[in-house]
Order: sequence, then C-alpha cells, then structure tokens
Amino acid sequence: MSGLNYLFLFFPIVMVILLILEACRSDDPRKIAKRALANFGVLTAVLVLGGAFVYVINRWF
Amino acid sequence: MNTRGEGRLLLVVGGIIFLLVSLLMRKGERIKGIAFFVAWLLPGGGHFLLGKWKKGLFFFLLLAATYAFGMCIAGWRPVSFDDNPFYYVGQYGSGATLLLAKLRGAEKAILRPEIHPSWFDPGLLYVCVVGLLNIVVMLNILDVKLAARPTTAAPEKAPSPPEAPQAAAAPAATTPPASEKPA
Repeated sequence: MSGLNYLFLFFPIVMVILLILEACRSDDPRKIAKRALANFGVLTAVLVLGGAFVYVINRWF
Repeated sequence: MNTRGEGRLLLVVGGIIFLLVSLLMRKGERIKGIAFFVAWLLPGGGHFLLGKWKKGLFFFLLLAATYAFGMCIAGWRPVSFDDNPFYYVGQYGSGATLLLAKLRGAEKAILRPEIHPSWFDPGLLYVCVVGLLNIVVMLNILDVKLAARPTTAAPEKAPSPPEAPQAAAAPAATTPPASEKPA
C-alpha cells in the first residue's frame, strides 16, 4: 500500500477528534458541526500546502 | 506487567482520582466524582448520569464507531505492549476498551485478505485515539453545569410594597382617633 492511501484514514480520525473537542465546548449541534468543519478545512489546507511544499522541494531542489 | 498488577494499579489510580474529585468538588456537585468514574468505565456514561443524555449518546456512538473501525482494520486485534507501548497505554483511557482488550487477548488477530496488513498500524492508532479522547470526555464532566435542584424550604416572603405617603396620611386626617372623640 502506498503512503498516499493512508490519507483515507486521515479524514475520519480528524473529524472524530474535532467533533469530540467541539462537543465538549458547546451544546448547540449546529455550532459544533460548523466549527468542526471549519477547523477540518484549516487542517486539510495545512496538510495540502505542506505536502505541495515538500513535493516542490523534492522535485526541483 | 501482569494482569493482577495492572488491576491493582488501576484501582489505586482510580481511587485517588475519585477521592480527589469528590473532596475538591462542592457539596452539590459531588455526583460529578461518580460521573467521572462512570465516564471512564463507559464513554458517555458520565453525561448520561448527569442528565445530558443526548451528549452522552453522541460521545458513545462516535467513540464506539471509531473503536470498531480501528479494530476492524487491525483484524479485530487489540493493542499489545509488544506492538506499540504508547498505543497500549492509550487503551487505558477507557474501561470498556481495556476490558475488551483483556478479554480478547492480543494473539487472537483475524487477518483478512481484503485488508492489507499495513493497515494494522493505523488500526492500532484508532484504538489508542479512542482511549485518549475518552479522557477529554471525562474531563468535560467536571465542566458540566448541573441543573438547579428544586428546593424543599418555604419560599421567602416577598417584600411588601412601600405605602404611598399621601394615601396613608389622608384617612388619618379625616377620621379622628377614638380617644379624641368628644364626650
């Protein structure tokens, strides 16, 4: 299995962690889902940008 | 560490935490000490005990599904100390996962051909994360606001409204007191 396939396991575990953390902070289900999705987006963006940076470094430098 | 030693260690640590939580809590909030312990035994159980059953059910379903998924991709094999000591300690975050691990035993793995063996390690990670997240849920018990209990004491009397000075003075001027009546 290539390392890329491990990314399939990234999404569920990060969503579970963020949902639990947000549910501890708030009682409103809508707010929990909204904040968890927003934080998930930020984390995914960081992952994608970091991956792209490493790819560029390895490809051309 | 053998099973008996682990059991004693768990009892001692659990007892100390239970005593600390019970003593440090205010009198009306001591049920949180019991809820804290119940939350360790069963994820979400503490919230059930405190009346937050929707949140308790949410925590239980989420953690149970994650645990089941992790066990599934790991071939229904719990984490042993030899696999990964850090993941093994993570199982201690929940009594339910620890009990399942002890009952099942690390040697009873069912490796399925459709799941690649390299998924075993992420499966252990999922199982470990469930235990660690349950510690977060347990700590959230201490932050739950309890519903106000109905008081059995008689309610205090409402203060009487102040009398208007003119209304009180007017009848006194029109009706003279009985002692001043002419004979």
